[in-house]
Amino acid sequence: MTIGIVGGILVKLSFFAALAAAFFYYRISRSGMTHLTAFARNSYHLATVSLMSAAAILLYLVLSHQFQFAYVWNYSSTDLPLPLLISTFYAGQEGSFTLWALYTALIGVFLMHYAMSKEYEPEVMSIYSLILSFLLLMLIVKNPFEFIWDRFPNDLIQTGPVPPGVANIVVLDAAKSVWARYPAEGKGLNPLLQNYWMVIHPQILFVGFSAMAVPYAHAIAGLLKKDYNSWIRVATPWLVFGGMVLGTGVIMGGYWAYETLGWGGFWGWDPVENSSLVPWLLCVAGIHTTLVQRKNGAYVKTNFALSILTFVAVLYSTFLTRSGVLGETSVHSFVDPGMWVYWLLLGWMIVFAALGFGLLFIRSRAMPVKPVEHSIFSREFALFLGAFALTFVAIFVTIGTSSPIITTLMKGKASAVEMSYYVKTNLPLGIAIAFLSGLGQLLWWKHSQEKSVLRSTLPSIVIAGATTLLMAVFATEEVMILIFAFCSVFSLAANTQVGYGIYRGNPKFIGGSVAHVGVALLCLGFITSERYDDTKTVSLERNKPVEALGYTMTYVGYAPIDRERFGFNVELEKNGTRHTVTPTMYFSEFTRGLMRHPDLLNFLSRDLYLAPLSLEEEQKGDLKSVELQKGAEARVGELTVTFVDFSDVDRMAMIESREFTIKAKLSVKEGTGKPRAVTVSIRGSQRGMEPEVVLYRDHRDRGYEFLLSRILPNREDPALSTIVLDVKLPEDPAIARRGETLVVEASIKPMINLVWMGTVTLVIGFFLTILRRVSEARERTRWERG
Amino acid sequence: MNGKVIAAVVVIVVGVILGAVNFLESNVEYADFGTAERSGKKVQVKGEWMRDMESRFDMEKAQFTFYMRDDNQQVEKVVLEGAKPNNFEIATSVVAKGRFQNGHFHASEVLTKCPSKYEGDAESVKKTL
Repeated sequence: MTIGIVGGILVKLSFFAALAAAFFYYRISRSGMTHLTAFARNSYHLATVSLMSAAAILLYLVLSHQFQFAYVWNYSSTDLPLPLLISTFYAGQEGSFTLWALYTALIGVFLMHYAMSKEYEPEVMSIYSLILSFLLLMLIVKNPFEFIWDRFPNDLIQTGPVPPGVANIVVLDAAKSVWARYPAEGKGLNPLLQNYWMVIHPQILFVGFSAMAVPYAHAIAGLLKKDYNSWIRVATPWLVFGGMVLGTGVIMGGYWAYETLGWGGFWGWDPVENSSLVPWLLCVAGIHTTLVQRKNGAYVKTNFALSILTFVAVLYSTFLTRSGVLGETSVHSFVDPGMWVYWLLLGWMIVFAALGFGLLFIRSRAMPVKPVEHSIFSREFALFLGAFALTFVAIFVTIGTSSPIITTLMKGKASAVEMSYYVKTNLPLGIAIAFLSGLGQLLWWKHSQEKSVLRSTLPSIVIAGATTLLMAVFATEEVMILIFAFCSVFSLAANTQVGYGIYRGNPKFIGGSVAHVGVALLCLGFITSERYDDTKTVSLERNKPVEALGYTMTYVGYAPIDRERFGFNVELEKNGTRHTVTPTMYFSEFTRGLMRHPDLLNFLSRDLYLAPLSLEEEQKGDLKSVELQKGAEARVGELTVTFVDFSDVDRMAMIESREFTIKAKLSVKEGTGKPRAVTVSIRGSQRGMEPEVVLYRDHRDRGYEFLLSRILPNREDPALSTIVLDVKLPEDPAIARRGETLVVEASIKPMINLVWMGTVTLVIGFFLTILRRVSEARERTRWERG
Repeated sequence: MNGKVIAAVVVIVVGVILGAVNFLESNVEYADFGTAERSGKKVQVKGEWMRDMESRFDMEKAQFTFYMRDDNQQVEKVVLEGAKPNNFEIATSVVAKGRFQNGHFHASEVLTKCPSKYEGDAESVKKTL
């Protein structure tokens, strides 16, 4: 209990220390009081150490199942395996803000040393500490160390003598005999999150979010110092680092959705996905425009604006997905965290946007205006257009994601946009980006001769043209997709060509080409896997092979995987090769809903993807039970059944308890037709009574099943003995009678590996670029110091 | 230079118009069954699942059929392209997105609105005591 109070105090201490660091650093930057430097650094380190300790306490509480803490109770339970138990640390809002703050604080320690050597420490660190203190303020509002009885006082806190023998009790006030009960078990982790991706994906995403604060801090520092050029050199490695990490996080989320959530594709334009994509797009746009400024000093304001906007996009994304403002317009459930969090998130975004853009506006008049010196056939212009297109994608995606807010303001009712919005608006921009990512690499700075452009692009254009022609001939395809394919192949060829040249010249500079090859592969993967995806709904009756998508599929039954989950085994055969896939489906107590997870076979050239839809149990026709006395009649379905009499009753056998059979004669009439005689029977032995099923087919050949289920003898008057007749009515003719059937959505995703290959290549490209930019920033500093 | 500015303005204006048109087109309006039937347009209808009426999944067509009552108490048959939506049984209300076709509401998507299920509430705390 005390340890939780300590945790809460440490968070507050960390907040004030971060605020103090921001203040001291600001004083140093304003008035050059360098004697405050030690105070500022120590304050920052104190904030970091306090936060680390608080996080360690929270982790300890999670690992030791301290359910007297509301957060631990809400997201964890005792039955989780260790990696998932650790991941419950950041399964909820409080914990994920803790993680974000923690990574921000830790990155700040490196940033401090980096900025020291670049003489940017006071300005950068004052802004950065301010950002950290805002994150910590969130932890004070949404306290991860809240006691469960403080959240549910009416249900848990009680007054009076403590009853004996009740476990999990905390005495809150011994004098007034106030005590509280707390849970022995947690609510558990949402089964959707119970996956190894949960262990790694949020961590990467938050490192990326944290890293995006660094270029922002540098941009503000540049504005404060009236240094409009050299901040770029210092900030670029961080910008590329943020881009690399966030990009990895974004695509990992996509893979998670594809592989385990069963969305069918790797991108669903969901608010949660979009909200990490937008900052990434702006970051990448910024990487391109800063390149121009480094080369010839243009786009000064653009670079400030993009660096500020990238961070504001992180904050806006957080606002969208964490404030509950999107409501229930998506498959994700956005928890409403309460007014405080809503206004804090909104205020946070407004403060940092106003600070950034306000400063930019004030300084913009003093900024040097560099006349445009480059022609249309220059690398600068291609970079500018590319960044412009990326920014437009970011804007369109932001507008689409904000649709519930916009429609609420416009019409008073929130509604989300369809997926087609994103595809339609982004396809032309995607084409432009793909084309420019190839062309830009082949152009010279300032100006290229038309002839040399033509000569250098010719091989790539020929390759792209030939590929597109093949595509147009063999697959009927929309014009836009053909153009997209052309541009992607063009970019792939051009960047391979350029990359090879650089590799033979100066391999240090190869990062850009590698990243662009990755983008081109990614675009081609989008086309092949989305446009040529072959999807079919297949009903697999148990043990009955079905031909679909070139495979023989056989559902062979299900087996439990763990306490709750069931795996449905499907055998797949093609050309004599056998594989088994096991999509899972189960009813989750946690979400009180059916969970479905796909399974897939990954081949070099394609994926076979099996998403379960439902399991249809054996159809049971309506069962009707009627009690009939001798001579009485009853309506059963469309039949009129009369109990005529018992026949062949072997009384001796019954008395001697040998095997015996009781038969009952029925008369069955259909509508106005002639009655038919039907005899039902029940066989008695020492093992019990065994009725025999008698099938009756009506004139439309529909089967009724008769079953003499019981005899209620009347000893006084045998004529009054009654029989109980169970009649199974025929199936609805629309539904064929079947056994247990697994319904799956099977699809083939051609060349989806291109998407993953492209991603890995892109990330490698980013990494190589960081290496180059870091060493550049270092050499430059050394050179400046003489 | 002037030509460049004009080109840039044209590109931006075209982009904005394209975006706005797409945005409005893909933002499906809310309506009730009556309006949906008259207009034949794609709409979203909010309502309640009729639990006591037929609901079944057609394996051949992979369609889920159920009956829904909208806010004007009009009951219609809804055919969803796909399996039964998640949390269908516990949903307090459902939103079907689609249009009228052959006398029924043909939905491409059905969203379920559930009582806040992930945040712990007082009831669930009692369960784990």
